[in-house]
Amino acid sequence: MIFSRPVAAAAALAAALVLGGCGSTEEKAETGGGAPVKGGSVVFAVDTEPVSFDAHVSAQDITGTILRNVFDSLVYQDAEGKFQPWLAESWEVADDLKSYTFKLRKDVKFTDGTAFDAEAVKVNFDRIHDPKTKSQLASSLLGPYTGTEVVDANTAKVSFSEPFAPFLQAASTAYLGFYSPKAIKDSGDKLAAGGPVAVGTGPFVFSAYAKGQSADFTRNDAYAWAPKGAANQGAPYLDKLTIRFLPESSVRVGALTSGQIQLAAGVPPQDVEGIKGNANLTLDSKDFPGGNYALYLNASKAPFNDEKVRKAVQLGVNVDAGVKSLYFGQYKRAWSPLSPATEGYTNKLENSWPYDEAAANKLLDEAGWTTKDGDGYRTKDGKRLVIDWPLLPAAYVKDKRDILGQAFQADLKKIGVEVKRPQDDIGTYIANVYGGKADIADYSWARSEPDVLWLLFNGASDPRKGGQNATFLVDKELTDLTNEGRATLDPAKRAEVYGKVQERAIQLGLVIPVYTPSAVIGRAKAVEGVGYDANAWPLFQGAWLAK
Amino acid sequence: MKTQAPSRRARALRAGAARLAGVVAVLWGAATLAFLALALIPGDPVTILLGPFTTASQEIRDQIAADHDLDKPLYQRYLIYLGNLVTGDMGESYQLQKPVFDALAEALGPTVELALAAVVIAVGIAVVSAVLTAGREGRLHRLATAWELIAVSLPSHWLGILLLTAFSFQLKIFPVVGGSGAAALVLPALTLALPIAGVLAQVLREGLEAALAQPFAVTARARGLSRREVRLRHALRHAAVPLATLSGWLAGTLLGGAVIVETVFGRPGFGALALQSAMNKDMPVLIGIVLVSALVFVVLSALIDAFHLLVDPRLRT
Repeated sequence: MIFSRPVAAAAALAAALVLGGCGSTEEKAETGGGAPVKGGSVVFAVDTEPVSFDAHVSAQDITGTILRNVFDSLVYQDAEGKFQPWLAESWEVADDLKSYTFKLRKDVKFTDGTAFDAEAVKVNFDRIHDPKTKSQLASSLLGPYTGTEVVDANTAKVSFSEPFAPFLQAASTAYLGFYSPKAIKDSGDKLAAGGPVAVGTGPFVFSAYAKGQSADFTRNDAYAWAPKGAANQGAPYLDKLTIRFLPESSVRVGALTSGQIQLAAGVPPQDVEGIKGNANLTLDSKDFPGGNYALYLNASKAPFNDEKVRKAVQLGVNVDAGVKSLYFGQYKRAWSPLSPATEGYTNKLENSWPYDEAAANKLLDEAGWTTKDGDGYRTKDGKRLVIDWPLLPAAYVKDKRDILGQAFQADLKKIGVEVKRPQDDIGTYIANVYGGKADIADYSWARSEPDVLWLLFNGASDPRKGGQNATFLVDKELTDLTNEGRATLDPAKRAEVYGKVQERAIQLGLVIPVYTPSAVIGRAKAVEGVGYDANAWPLFQGAWLAK
Repeated sequence: MKTQAPSRRARALRAGAARLAGVVAVLWGAATLAFLALALIPGDPVTILLGPFTTASQEIRDQIAADHDLDKPLYQRYLIYLGNLVTGDMGESYQLQKPVFDALAEALGPTVELALAAVVIAVGIAVVSAVLTAGREGRLHRLATAWELIAVSLPSHWLGILLLTAFSFQLKIFPVVGGSGAAALVLPALTLALPIAGVLAQVLREGLEAALAQPFAVTARARGLSRREVRLRHALRHAAVPLATLSGWLAGTLLGGAVIVETVFGRPGFGALALQSAMNKDMPVLIGIVLVSALVFVVLSALIDAFHLLVDPRLRT
């Protein structure tokens, strides 16, 4: 008798579950190929929510990824890295690479009805360059920008104070996308909030934004200016695209496998097999271009001011084993600081510096670290060989890199090197690592342009002054080479110069490339035609939902 | 009698004024502490705001500093902040391009909804569990205490994913995406409610058992009331008093739990805003969150005092 009520309640609950289950969504049929179908809506779950939706201000990848649907660029960088006409029909580059003249399409309209013209180019680029905009990324993409000249309504000439070869790639990103000048004038101070204020020329209209939840995009029916070579030259097939913010990876994957969403970004390596094994799902895996995830050794102070110690550590970490065991083969082990998905990547470095404990030990002996203390660590003049590698605060740690670091720590212990990994607040971290006080900094830097090597190795890219050269070494050759690369558009010359940079950085033991980060997106097979640009970002203009 | 009335009113007024002064003092203290705590974070505030992975030039850093008064000395920033606060201006978010007040106002609605739903569920479960099992021996009693212990010790994050896996991903009853209104609220509210229900049920049962052991319970039974009537009409009232004193803990748990629940379920709200502001070093929003939390505690304790008067006639003299 005592049990009667709970049992009845449980029975009712069970009945409700069964009934509810019956009413759930039906399984989608698997289709392949076929002609695109118009209509339908797609939900794409991502792991991060943009802090600011102002493309000109934000430095976040997610902002560019999402706003790609709303903003077109002057040129399009295709999957092979070649530049194709987009809002610019054609362009001319001055011989000194100090100016670029773009002939613009005449039929392009912003979604508020105003025309896209040379004046719009000028207004947008000037806005980015204005310090008052506080641009965290776009302004650096504009480099040594001096101004835009409106030659005529459909001709814009963009000028720089120095030769600036990386500009075409920069101009292809959503960060240098175009807001309607009217939107900038009327609500320039509200663009960070996202939603309908973000008026662009793109295939979708940013129709609604619910902070903490989702962003909605609806088809721009007038769209007829897709990049040259795009499969769909007209308006998107989808009626609606929803970006859902779900920070928990298990929730994104669960929502995908249960059919509540159609695409999920940031599928963790342990869920990859499950998605591959699901008949309704598939996995899109694209390597990010730019700087691989790598360890940069601070060569400006002991012990890494000794090349032998740097080389010893480079050979003494078992990169292969660490990357394989942690990422289940999802991420490729890297040999160069540059990702293979970037123009100018050299494959000469592949397998050129494999894990070699004996060679590492020999180098350390040669460097004079010959005695060992009670804990088994090497010493010289009574001082232990200690490396300070600060750990980012937990909120900034990606891809379980902290655990990867533990494996490297254990590898280096074997050759008698002690690695310390203090984890402090972000202010202390930046002060130490970017102030040149630590021995190792670790990061990746996605960008579809080998000029990223300038950022990583040029002597002027001092982290104390907003640069990212955490080797803290002003190497004349690396500086000259990366400057040279900036001043030429000749593919052969660029390949030669950037190949040399990669080889020299490895040779000097300045960097330990670890793995190539990749975008791992789980997708329902019913969603077809999703494209990926050179940045490995998904494009929805050509996507359709198979019925 | 007539002479007594004004003095009583004056007393009430004085009590009210004291209470109000207390509220102001609490808020001022909370604002000051939050301001100081955030100012004491080591490192340059603009550098922290931008994070390590930036190529922002010195010019842009200077502009950010100037726009948020970060180039001024600490005491000046504090005075500016306090001055604005007095006029009801909580400042402008560093990152969202909107006033802190608006950001907080937008976030408050969904969280209040979530918290209220969780409280209703938690109290419901706790009352049922406690009333059914108080003072009884046997399997049901043991079962109830066992589930309460489990509920109290479950991490919310894990519980949320467990509920989602069962009811959203497998049974597909409550969607995590596209659901609106009540259907979207059930699982998050349940996640937030279960650990609270566990604690409430334990406290309530102890209170009930204490009350049922008192002579009035026997008297009421002797008057012919059924066991259930004694529990619901008399004992529950007694047991509710210690429950009410838990409200401070309850508010804290709800606000803290909202951070986790809103993240797991991808819901907008106060917790999500708190987490995002902490990650983005959006100091003005963080201080705003501390202020609102302090306000919630102060208002709640006033409400609880009123509640005490309501359920315990002995205090009304």
